[in-house]
Amino acid sequence: MSDIRLDQLTHSYGETRAVDNVSLSIAEGEFYSLLGPSGCGKSTTLRMIAGFVTPTSGRILIGGGDVTRLPPERRDIGIVFQNYAIFPHMSVAENIAFGLRLRKVPRAEIDTAVEGALAQVGLSGFGDRYQRNLSGGQQQRVALARVLVTKPRILLLDEPLSALDKALREEMKFWIKDLQQTLGITTIYVTHDQDEALTMSDRIGVMRAGRIEQSGTPREIYEEPASLFVTTFIGQSNVLDATYAGAEGPRAAAMVEGRALSAELSHALPRGSAAKLVIRPENVLMGPEAADRNLTQLPATVIGESYQGAMVRYRLRLGSQELVAERQNQAHLARWRPGETVTVGWDPGRARLLPAD
Amino acid sequence: MGDTSPIPLTFRLVSGVALVILLTPVLIVVLSGLNSGEYLTFPPQGLSLKWVAGFFTSPIFLPAFLFSFGLATVTTIISTILGTMAAIFLTRSRSRAREVLRGLFILPVVLPGVVLGLALYVFFAWTKLGLAGSFPGLLIGHVLVTMPFVIATVTASLVDFDLSVEDAARSLGATPLQAFTKVTLPIIQPGISAGTIFAFIVSFGQFELTLFLATPDMQPLPIAMYTSLRYAFEPTAAAAGIFAICLVTISTLVTSRLVNLKKLLRRR
Ligand SMILES: Nc1ncnc2c1ncn2[C@@H]1O[C@H](COP(=O)(O)OP(=O)(O)OP(=O)(O)O)[C@@H](O)[C@H]1O
Ligand SMILES: [Mg+2]
Repeated sequence: MSDIRLDQLTHSYGETRAVDNVSLSIAEGEFYSLLGPSGCGKSTTLRMIAGFVTPTSGRILIGGGDVTRLPPERRDIGIVFQNYAIFPHMSVAENIAFGLRLRKVPRAEIDTAVEGALAQVGLSGFGDRYQRNLSGGQQQRVALARVLVTKPRILLLDEPLSALDKALREEMKFWIKDLQQTLGITTIYVTHDQDEALTMSDRIGVMRAGRIEQSGTPREIYEEPASLFVTTFIGQSNVLDATYAGAEGPRAAAMVEGRALSAELSHALPRGSAAKLVIRPENVLMGPEAADRNLTQLPATVIGESYQGAMVRYRLRLGSQELVAERQNQAHLARWRPGETVTVGWDPGRARLLPAD
Repeated sequence: MGDTSPIPLTFRLVSGVALVILLTPVLIVVLSGLNSGEYLTFPPQGLSLKWVAGFFTSPIFLPAFLFSFGLATVTTIISTILGTMAAIFLTRSRSRAREVLRGLFILPVVLPGVVLGLALYVFFAWTKLGLAGSFPGLLIGHVLVTMPFVIATVTASLVDFDLSVEDAARSLGATPLQAFTKVTLPIIQPGISAGTIFAFIVSFGQFELTLFLATPDMQPLPIAMYTSLRYAFEPTAAAAGIFAICLVTISTLVTSRLVNLKKLLRRR
């Protein structure tokens, strides 16, 4: 059952279309991430769902009911902001009790609930502190406790980790995901960090210039990117100039550097049109690894090598184009020096032909 | 031993000198009010409380003092409410009229008091609404000159006010009014209190504007002191000055103490 549905949601700030015709369905209990570069409309989308921004057009449905015109206080949504927005004039306990007080919950019940919420976020004994005496990570937990204690139907998180240092970010990533799974609460998570999106989400919507470019599981987004933007925004990709030469069984034939290569095709393309063949660096095999006849094989020259500990990155010249290969740094695998020629190859199922942007 | 204070010696010297310059007139007024002689002279011929006692029996000064106190109180209440609302509008509105309005609100403190007083007097007379020489007219004048102070202090506390705090309150179930009273107001309250003190002091000591708007039966303290000094050079005026200084000092202390007290209670 779908819990949140966005139906052709659009918002313009004057001339700028911050969110452009976004339609989306999120299932109950799902962890959905909105991922995209700065200014692509992630926060605006989230603020529309929370009720702080009125859509220019389109509808928002929660649990089947239309909430598009409902004020924020009647949407039963919990939101955590990037800066946590802890009330500075209230203690941690008062912050957490805020929502319950408004709901006129009896005093004794509030006290129990606040204790419970503090324990849940690992901050027992912090009830009397004030915001200025809390670290970023602790404020983050208070913000979550304050929201969760009111048992909202939906949890919205706007870049909740971006203000934390790297080590804490890693820790909180898993902590938030665990908490979300324990509670089974439908969650929308806004981020511009691909690692967060890939590790935490059930599904990801990749946004660009107000639109959702692709929506799918982390595996789909990474391995079956629907556009050049998606494949370059998430992880790294080699992008080779190619020409679409027609269908070749279930796959497409593409001319790259005068050779016909086969690749996956997800968009219909007119024959002879310019396209891009994309392949991830970790899928580019070299030397003996590339010897299998079923692989796409090409001669290349090594022009650079950089040591990265667990990995070795090779820059390769392929005719007039460049290619990056990333190989495991293991004793039994061969190493190449700049200037050497080597056969590179890849599984044609790992290469994709995408329309040039 | 080196000087460990974070404030350079020069700064401390300058502020010391400034303090002396500022406090000297206050001291002179106090000593003149305690004069035992018959005329307002400095240094006093001797010390006595007779002029201070005279203040309480004076048919002019005590009523004037009470009138000024009442006027300043009403002015402060109105100025604080209107000024806070104006500051919120000026910091949040996206309207084009905003900059123009900001200028208009500040104008009364930029204009010389005489000009404003004359303008108001002519305007009140011209509109024939009975505002000239009336308490409401005087009140309007005082609100105009005190509101800019409230606007300035409240704006200062609103500039770094984080709007997401209000959004968070709304999402937690607060109506717009609840979000304002339970979250916004307590956070900007120091700015409002500061504005209140300014408004009270400015209204209580306001002279030029009042000169145009007051009438013989509606004499605020500054006018009463001025008038009496023109005809009789009595130390009662200085004694009244002592009470004015005390009132302003006490109101400042009380307000800031109330603010701090609240903070103390919250942090217990
Ligand atoms: N209040 C506003 N008034 C005018 N334009 C706005 C406003 N808020 C956002 N925008 C514009 O709308 C677009 C989308 O903004 P939004 O904040 O939704 O982006 P975002 O994806 O959350 O970016 P970031 O990662 O930087 O937070 C941007 O071009 C931004 O400049
Ligand atoms: Mg944002």
